[in-house]
Amino acid sequence: MIKIENLHKNFGNLHVLNGIDYEIHEKEVVCVIGPSGSGKSTFLRCINLLEEISDGAIYIDGVKVNDPKTDINKIRTEVGMVFQQFNLFPHMTVLDNITMAPMLIRKMNKKEAEALAFELLQKVGLREKAHNYPQQLSGGQQQRVAIARALAMKPKVMLFDEPTSALDPEMVNEVLDVIKQLAIEGMTMVVVTHEMGFAREVADRVIFMDGGVIVEEGPPEQVFGNPKHERTKAFLSKVL
Amino acid sequence: MEILDFRWDIIWNYRDYFIRGIWVTLALTLCGFFGGFIFGVFLGLGKNSKRKWLYWPCKLYIDLFRGTPLLVQIFIIHLAVIPSIFGHSLGFMVSGIAALILNCAAYVAEIIRAGIQSIDKGQMEAARSLGLNQFQAMRKVILPQAFRRMIPPLGNEFITLLKDSSLVTVIAANDILYAAKVVSGTYFRFWEPYLAAAALYLILTFIVSKIVSFIEKRFSIEYNPRKNKNDEGRVVA
Repeated sequence: MIKIENLHKNFGNLHVLNGIDYEIHEKEVVCVIGPSGSGKSTFLRCINLLEEISDGAIYIDGVKVNDPKTDINKIRTEVGMVFQQFNLFPHMTVLDNITMAPMLIRKMNKKEAEALAFELLQKVGLREKAHNYPQQLSGGQQQRVAIARALAMKPKVMLFDEPTSALDPEMVNEVLDVIKQLAIEGMTMVVVTHEMGFAREVADRVIFMDGGVIVEEGPPEQVFGNPKHERTKAFLSKVL
Repeated sequence: MEILDFRWDIIWNYRDYFIRGIWVTLALTLCGFFGGFIFGVFLGLGKNSKRKWLYWPCKLYIDLFRGTPLLVQIFIIHLAVIPSIFGHSLGFMVSGIAALILNCAAYVAEIIRAGIQSIDKGQMEAARSLGLNQFQAMRKVILPQAFRRMIPPLGNEFITLLKDSSLVTVIAANDILYAAKVVSGTYFRFWEPYLAAAALYLILTFIVSKIVSFIEKRFSIEYNPRKNKNDEGRVVA
């Protein structure tokens, strides 16, 4: 479903990604772990071209993302993204946050879009917050709204960029539970995370990144239980 | 002492000049501001652009008009630019409004640019990640938020322009300051006419600042949830 070939990303002289090859299949949940500065967020952001790609190629459903002829806006409607800082639109109610893109881009009418929004809010347990503004919600609630907002476009893939890193500890689980539920429903997901317990439980495969390359990847039992690489062992010994 | 025997009757005698002056000052300011605003929005968006051919002309324009005195700009436009284009002067009103528009646009452009840049870049990323194009993201997400932040500096700019419009008096515009000059020239008294002019400008700027703070409150309701929710924490639509 997502195929990444020899992906490179430089910020000037800083080489953040140094050749990544990977393939993510449909209904797979891939968790990306690694020390900060290892390039895992950049890797994720390259997938929907929030970062320009320096070299290499990314294909989503066979369409080359970084082809000048590709309509990147269309690709992005198929790829939902959830950010560390939620990035809800503060001037819109929760409901408007969710219905804006489906109405504008999917050309849904207001009634359909709101029905969909309420359905998604029900799913993330925030139906009663529909008419509140984001800043009236807790961090965990905001992040759940952000997930609902991304789901409203009915994406084929969901990307999560450290979705719980900006949350108070007691709110982490309410967000992870929503993501777990999506995994059970068969959503294809790439999750950059520091929550090792979550990665172990939910991931089909875990990627360990360091220095802009994939050092090790495999099923969570293998990466967490029996890491082959010294760098993986060193990292896991610090975080587990 | 001279201060103690003010002769306010001379102001009253020339009240028609002052009243006309108020209208001229208001006309200059309003035309200058709204013209400058529209032009300034384009300049500001241009200066925000990544495209070099759009960015550089806008930057050059803004630097030129912010870096030279308005008084000099008024002289150049009235005595050089307009006569060169039309062959003769078009009067103080045209020159004055043109100068105020061109000058105001440069300041408005900076307000627009700063307002847009003050919005967290995560907002643009979130909008683009939903599939909105640059224009849609600007219109739906960035500008509505930026606009609220632009209201106070735009209000300041309006007040500044109202006061600076008095410079147009040098090309014989019959604004408030001109009325004061006429009175002082007639009676050789300086306290009363210039204090009267100052008072009129003060009254106008006071009214404007009240209007601006009203607009500010009106648009900030969504940002201040405490103001528009009832006891259950529900927002009243």
